[in-house]
Amino acid sequence: MSAKKLGLKQRYALMTRGLDWETSYQPMDKVFPYDTFEGIKIKDWSAWEDPFRLTMDNYWKFQAEKERKLYAVLDSFAQNNGQTGLSDGRYVNAIKLFLTGVSPLEYQAHRGFAHAGRHLRGVGPRIAAQMQSLDELRHAQTQIHTISHYNKFFDGFHEFRHMHDRVWYLSVPKSFFDDARSAGPFEYMVAIGFAFEYVLTNLLFVPFMSGAAYNGDLATVTFGFSAQSDESRHMTLGIEVIKFLLEQHPDNLPIVQKWVDKWFWRGHRVLGLVAMMMDYMLPKRVMSWKEAWEIYFTQAGGALFQDLERYGLRVPKYADVATEEAEHISHQNWAIFYQYTHAAGFHTWMPKPDEMDWLSEKYPNTFDKYYRPRFEMWAEMEKKGERFYNMGLPQLCTTCQIPMGYTEPGDPTTICFRTSEYKGDTYHFCSDGCKDIFDDEPEKFSQSWLPVHQIFQGNCGGATVPDVLDWYKLNVGADNMDYAGSPDEKVWKAWEAAKKSQGSARTEDAGAKTAAE
Amino acid sequence: MSHELTIEPLGETITVEDGQTVLDACLRAGVWLPHACGHGLCGTCKVDVVDGEVDHGSASPFALMDFERDEGKVLACTCTLTSDVTIEAEIDEDPDARVIPVRDFAVTVSRLVDLTHDVKGVFLTIEGDGIDFQAGQFINLHLPGVEGTRAFSLANPPSRGTGIELHVRLVPGGAGTTYIHQTLKEGDRLTVSGPYGRFFVRKSATEPMIFLAGGTGLSSPKSMILDLLEDGRTEPMTLIHGVRTQADLYDRALFEDLAARHENFRYVPALSSEPEDSGWTGERGFVHDVMNRLFDGFLGGHKAYLCGPPPMIEACIRTLMQGRLFEKHIFTEKFITAKDASEAPRSPVFKRI
Repeated sequence: MSAKKLGLKQRYALMTRGLDWETSYQPMDKVFPYDTFEGIKIKDWSAWEDPFRLTMDNYWKFQAEKERKLYAVLDSFAQNNGQTGLSDGRYVNAIKLFLTGVSPLEYQAHRGFAHAGRHLRGVGPRIAAQMQSLDELRHAQTQIHTISHYNKFFDGFHEFRHMHDRVWYLSVPKSFFDDARSAGPFEYMVAIGFAFEYVLTNLLFVPFMSGAAYNGDLATVTFGFSAQSDESRHMTLGIEVIKFLLEQHPDNLPIVQKWVDKWFWRGHRVLGLVAMMMDYMLPKRVMSWKEAWEIYFTQAGGALFQDLERYGLRVPKYADVATEEAEHISHQNWAIFYQYTHAAGFHTWMPKPDEMDWLSEKYPNTFDKYYRPRFEMWAEMEKKGERFYNMGLPQLCTTCQIPMGYTEPGDPTTICFRTSEYKGDTYHFCSDGCKDIFDDEPEKFSQSWLPVHQIFQGNCGGATVPDVLDWYKLNVGADNMDYAGSPDEKVWKAWEAAKKSQGSARTEDAGAKTAAE
Repeated sequence: MSHELTIEPLGETITVEDGQTVLDACLRAGVWLPHACGHGLCGTCKVDVVDGEVDHGSASPFALMDFERDEGKVLACTCTLTSDVTIEAEIDEDPDARVIPVRDFAVTVSRLVDLTHDVKGVFLTIEGDGIDFQAGQFINLHLPGVEGTRAFSLANPPSRGTGIELHVRLVPGGAGTTYIHQTLKEGDRLTVSGPYGRFFVRKSATEPMIFLAGGTGLSSPKSMILDLLEDGRTEPMTLIHGVRTQADLYDRALFEDLAARHENFRYVPALSSEPEDSGWTGERGFVHDVMNRLFDGFLGGHKAYLCGPPPMIEACIRTLMQGRLFEKHIFTEKFITAKDASEAPRSPVFKRI
């Protein structure tokens, strides 16, 4: 009788098992100094199930083909002047927000997974973290290469890396990742692997990628597909992390629950930028933020947490508050950016009447009642040449670093305002969720690099707004202010005019041809 | 036109309808394949086609590379069949699973017994060698004049393959069970096909076992326990049979006798709605609560076999997991019907339970 053929799983196990060793020159605890202080107890590292059986040689083969396909699309997009086929020049501002706010996070994720991989003593999670680290580097690179094409024609892209580290609103996504990367390796895996890559990733990627598809941005759509093909590994890893921690020791449950609560709320706050992008920055809209939240959090997340409840893990704290905020957050964020457009690296505008109607239809409970009157007033002021700018510096929430513009749960007419005392100082928060996070780790968050505080302390280039904008490397008059009257708009209008004259020339040609016949 | 799909390394063959994806057909047949996005973008459900012709459907060129297509890889979630096909998938091979081909059997009703006021014991005789199966599996029963087939777990041990025993509760308005309760008589001839299902005892395991049965969900555990005791197994075994009242309890004498003769077997009937003053001195409450009490909340280190209505299964899984017994050690029959598929999607956290 011939030997039975091995299954794929067994073949992988035989090829990869036993590659690890117990160190002897140094004790294991010294080689892996960070995987115990968080209180997580691991009894058996070998119980880690390899979620995605891929060997390194295959990994390179796959990624190489993905790259070839992506770069072929990028070349053809560039050669065919794909940028002129966009739905509208305003669309590019969504991509500016992505490049300055999201692509640097891919790079942060690359470094974070490299670090977590180094410091987890189990070989299974180490290999998974290594591959994800490489994926994230690839995502950062391909996004930068894709978007660099727009930098040839539009403002706001040129200093994206520098801006990510300095500009006030970009400290929101940056501090999110800084927080995760300065945590222990298990918290990092829960924060980024589970909460971000699993629970919230669809709310980040789907809006940008479908937004790109609806607005004629084939290049961005393609890098989206290319990245999404890696996501299966990342999502499976996120799930495996949670299952592994919860099954290893009962003491891990309250720690994991605390992290899930924290990172859900932090993620929800960062995603407010995406909410605003979906509802206000896409000339052709895909769906509203509220609809996206319903599909990707309420339904998909609901199924997830229903299953995780078997372990005793609850739905994240304040999930109900976040769901209520889905009615408000995009409007409140856009209002903030409109007021501070002079200090932003992308353009703003008031929605056109038909866009306001779309918002009324999508937000029947809130838009007409709370937001339309304010926006119509601002549009009116603009017409009279009294465009409203807020020249004061906003108070920021110490945890999420967003200006304190959000309203009380259940009362959209009162600003939500919380404080905590720590070592004689008062710290301010936009919500109970952000206050809880601070109260749990005050020694960490009291050291936050808050952009407004830093300006007042004289650490941001000088005492005046122009000094600070200069320090941001913001090209004043081009990168910032309204879309109306911007160099971006001028370029776009010139293309439109050229298209029209070509179009009419073509019509005339066709007419001439018919006449000749 | 439908095609046959053989899934290696299981060796199971299932039917795939025209336009139905391989993933959908597998999940409905109770064969779990790894999957995530469900529409050809992520590549989690990649499998090898060993033989036959397929249509890739809308598999993304980034999730399924050209070189992989050349090597015969497909994405199960978008792939449809254009001929009979054999695939090889990343499935956990179970050393205790036997591959037993499904057969049709002509049977005769030898005995009908009222086990309780609404449960009938149906005994069927098979000519010849009888049916080969693993304790815990089920058969499909064809009833005259009733559309489709009805699935019932086998309550007899595999050693008695010529004498099928089924436990059938009367479902109000249910055509199949109404026929069995009201029309079926001894001497009737029927056809059954089987065995089906991946619910069976992991005999290679040596952990103590817990059997959790709700109502007529007693059938599979009964077959399993009889089989194990016949094998001379000595691991501790606990059967908790949950019903509403004493009037719903059946096979009590049989299990009490087994418990008296085997010191490793414990029988615990649990009543959830028994009147307070009935004189019942046994356990009261739902199966999961009784289990939690008996084991003092710690269930790690066991193998658990669950059979019963979905709310009981869910409650037991939660209790087991919070008592530190996880998916790898929990076994239950999962029937996925067309109706389940149209409901809200489950998360990919669990594979089998």
